[in-house]
Amino acid sequence: MIGVYIHVPFCRTRCPYCDFNRVRIDGAPPDAFVDALVREIDAFDACREAETVFMGGGTPSLLTPGQLERILEAVRRRFDPKAPEMTLEANPDDVTGALADAWRAAGVNRVSLGVQSFDDTALRYLGRRHDAETARRACGIVAGRFANWSMDLINGAHPASSWPATLSECASFAAPHVSCYGLTYEPGTPFGERAHEAIDDETALACYRRSRELLTGYERYEVSNFAMPGFQCRHNLYYWRNLEYAGFGPGAFSFIDGVRSMNETALEAYLARPGRKTEQLRLSEREIRVETLIQHFRLSEGLSRDAYADRFGRDLDTDFGPGLRALTQRGLLEERDGRFVPTESGFELNNEIGLALVD
Amino acid sequence: MAIPQQQIRNFSIIAHIDHGKSTLADRLLQYTGAVDARNMREQTLDTMDLERERGITIKSVAARLDYRARDGQDYVLNLIDTPGHVDFSYEVSRSLAACEGALLLVDAAQGVEAQTLAHAYRAIEQDLEIIPVINKVDLPSADVESTRRQIEDVVGLDASEAVLASAKSGLGTQDVLEAIVKRVPPPRGDRARPARALIFDAKYDPYRGVVTYVRVVDGRLQKDQRVMLMSNGERYEISELGFMTPEIRPAEALEAGEVGYLICGIKTLATVNIGDTVTDALRPAEAPLPGYKEILPVVFCGMYPAGTTDIQELRDALDKLHLNDASFRYQADNSDALGLGFRLGFLGLLHMEIVQERLEREFDLTLVTTVPNVEYHAYLTDGQMKVVQSASQMPEPARIDRVEEPYIEVEIITPTEYLSPVIELCKKKRGLHVRVDYLDARRCLAVYQMPLAEIVLDFYDKLKTYSRGYASLEYHMIGYREGDLVKLDILLNGEPVDALSTVVFRGSAEWVGRTLASKLRKLIPRQQFEVAIQAAIGNRILVRETVKALRKNVTAKCYGGDITRKRKLLEKQKEGKRRMKQVGSVEVPQEAFMALLQVGDEGR
Ligand SMILES: Nc1nc2c(ncn2[C@@H]2O[C@H](COP(=O)(O)OP(=O)(O)OP(=O)(O)O)[C@@H](O)[C@H]2O)c(=O)[nH]1
Ligand code: SF4
Ligand SMILES: [Mg+2]
Repeated sequence: MIGVYIHVPFCRTRCPYCDFNRVRIDGAPPDAFVDALVREIDAFDACREAETVFMGGGTPSLLTPGQLERILEAVRRRFDPKAPEMTLEANPDDVTGALADAWRAAGVNRVSLGVQSFDDTALRYLGRRHDAETARRACGIVAGRFANWSMDLINGAHPASSWPATLSECASFAAPHVSCYGLTYEPGTPFGERAHEAIDDETALACYRRSRELLTGYERYEVSNFAMPGFQCRHNLYYWRNLEYAGFGPGAFSFIDGVRSMNETALEAYLARPGRKTEQLRLSEREIRVETLIQHFRLSEGLSRDAYADRFGRDLDTDFGPGLRALTQRGLLEERDGRFVPTESGFELNNEIGLALVD
Repeated sequence: MAIPQQQIRNFSIIAHIDHGKSTLADRLLQYTGAVDARNMREQTLDTMDLERERGITIKSVAARLDYRARDGQDYVLNLIDTPGHVDFSYEVSRSLAACEGALLLVDAAQGVEAQTLAHAYRAIEQDLEIIPVINKVDLPSADVESTRRQIEDVVGLDASEAVLASAKSGLGTQDVLEAIVKRVPPPRGDRARPARALIFDAKYDPYRGVVTYVRVVDGRLQKDQRVMLMSNGERYEISELGFMTPEIRPAEALEAGEVGYLICGIKTLATVNIGDTVTDALRPAEAPLPGYKEILPVVFCGMYPAGTTDIQELRDALDKLHLNDASFRYQADNSDALGLGFRLGFLGLLHMEIVQERLEREFDLTLVTTVPNVEYHAYLTDGQMKVVQSASQMPEPARIDRVEEPYIEVEIITPTEYLSPVIELCKKKRGLHVRVDYLDARRCLAVYQMPLAEIVLDFYDKLKTYSRGYASLEYHMIGYREGDLVKLDILLNGEPVDALSTVVFRGSAEWVGRTLASKLRKLIPRQQFEVAIQAAIGNRILVRETVKALRKNVTAKCYGGDITRKRKLLEKQKEGKRRMKQVGSVEVPQEAFMALLQVGDEGR
């Protein structure tokens, strides 16, 4: 089983903090893009069944129903998903009842809505196109049509004081899944030059802790992700468990047979030769094991000795004993019934865990 | 066939640093054909990597030149190029002892500087014929007449016949050679007497073992001869001898008056005493030649393995390097904070820097080096004297009657307009005024006595700043004097860290402690727990600084492409961490152990 990711690299406007691969566009993506995508999917040669399909971006909600239909058809042809989780990322300002119905008709059964905030000042700070009212309306439309949906929020946007209210409002919609990402000022983006505006560590920590307090009824199953029971994102778990996934579209990543690869990022080049890899890295066994541990320790489930032995046919303590013991001593991991899980500090200082485990 | 002593001239080239000694040597080598044009490069005699990179001479080098003079006769000229830096002054003294003459080079744009004076006096003391050479006359800023006057007024030499040269363009090369032939007296050894040769240098060659450089004073040395070292009576057989041209060129014999090399089965440099006399084992000379004063290290520091380097690797590297440079000392040392390591002694700061760099580079080691310090003498209440080479060896204050520290006399030549800042600096550094001489209309010589410890920290850099780079410095040891000194401790999370403690002058202890603690706060990265940094004298805490705990360090998103990227980033960070030392529960970066060097004197 694998996860399938489809990258739709188009946005109506480019948010100044965003470092995803995307191009600005008015209206729907060109059909040429859909053609290329379909060609790429058709040409995929490693035979796997898909457990999940995730359409991300960019803004997949810009696709017309017909385009979406064609893409998902190609996915079905190639990957034969039996009971897939099929997610589509949507921007609130694109969401209409009719469009959401069309998504459902096409087979989408999970929508991830880019709300980011319910505070107009914060939304303006982030340079988003929508306002809080639009977000609320979109939430209503999606919640009425999808049992499984998710809301993306960003903490750390100014005013930081708006965060608790955003969380409370989020809880009132009872979205079964919520992602809360800390705002980062990535170099190379317009925000990269404004890094001095970033909130200080203490405030960031307080915001982070606030998410857990106010999202009652959710489990924080990953560093930045919260789910009600049964609503974890199956697709993203492929990443966090370091399992195999196939990525399609410009700049999409794949991890198959121990090779991590990246598609051509530039749109023109991608359209000319869809599926061409510009980066291809064969990972050593050791590297895969290290990455698997680092990823698993982002999850509240952590990693059990048995799961490790099943997957690698090796003994966890032999491979990582000293590192795990040191982390346990430092109070970043704790051991429960043959399973290492991150503690609260382990979540807050998650990079320290990785640092202790890499070679 | 032996060359008559009448036809031999032995001379050193001496000067202030950078005045062009090695470049002049190039011209002499080139003119006499000792090095052909194809193999000629700049500063040919500076062969060590470090010498070439830094553009300075560290070791003296000898070369033999064949020269047909204007009088039509053939001469053998033995040249020794010497280093100019104050740390290596002893190399100059050794070289001079093998010669009858010296070329005193003076940069026509800089004039007489502190080392010019110091080296000239060394040559005068040894009764050498000194030929002033005014170099770099090609420079637009060259002022030949003023330089000539300075040589006369400041050094006290007759400069009316100073040779004008440009080592760069080759101007004056022949004049230099002629002056050597005419003015340097030939050696006057007795070739009939038992052999006596002065060992003025030695080096370790991985293929040949120890190669000693000698100046034969009396008699002769030849291949297969049994010889004896007069200091310890050890006997060896000469397996090879010859000349440096500058390449090694074997010969049958070395006669009185000649300079050359000997290879006689000596295994390590440590067994060779530079300054020793080699004599014939069967017909030994009655008395050895006057030797050299033993040179002792004056600056000490600790070196500890870090990262993947282990103590055995460090030990092996030190053993090997010591074969090449017997002038540094090392002995095993154990620091509570840094574990097993070595305490090393050096001739000066540059020497320390060079040894450290060679260890790291030639042996690929990762090291933590502690701040350099001088050697203190602690006189205890029970009348004993304890030698203290690191602050942690300092006895409890209650047991100490008094502490003495090494003093130096500093001679600073500076343009008059910078005299008052220079004096101000000397005062700050606990200098005692000896005198100020006005050398000429523009420059003066300030003589101060001050603790060596002050120079070890940052005096040289400060002097350059205070004088805009114009002042030059020479110093020599004048013995130990009592000092009002205290041990300053640094505590991390309440635990004293021996490798961070230092001995300081009581008057500045408080200020140094504060500055050091605040520097450390900036150098020690945030960690999982808060780190308290305290500076203390005895039980008295002077200051407390805190490195706040790392509270949040987590990547918010980690999806498909991020995974490998993140692992690589973490690996890189980990590489940086390897260069840190775990002191108790605190990770301390290498630079922290050198933080004292960054404690300037701005706030004093
Ligand atoms: N213009 C000019 N530059 C010169 C002359 N002689 C030497 N230099 C330059 O001065 C610098 C120092 O020359 P060196 O020959 O290395 O000086 P040194 O006295 O051997 O230096 P140390 O061995 O470090 O004391 C080099 O950059 C030379 O190129 C000269 O006659 N004219
Ligand atoms: S944040 Fe989303 S909508 Fe904004 S530019 Fe990035 S991908 Fe496009
Ligand atoms: Mg030189």
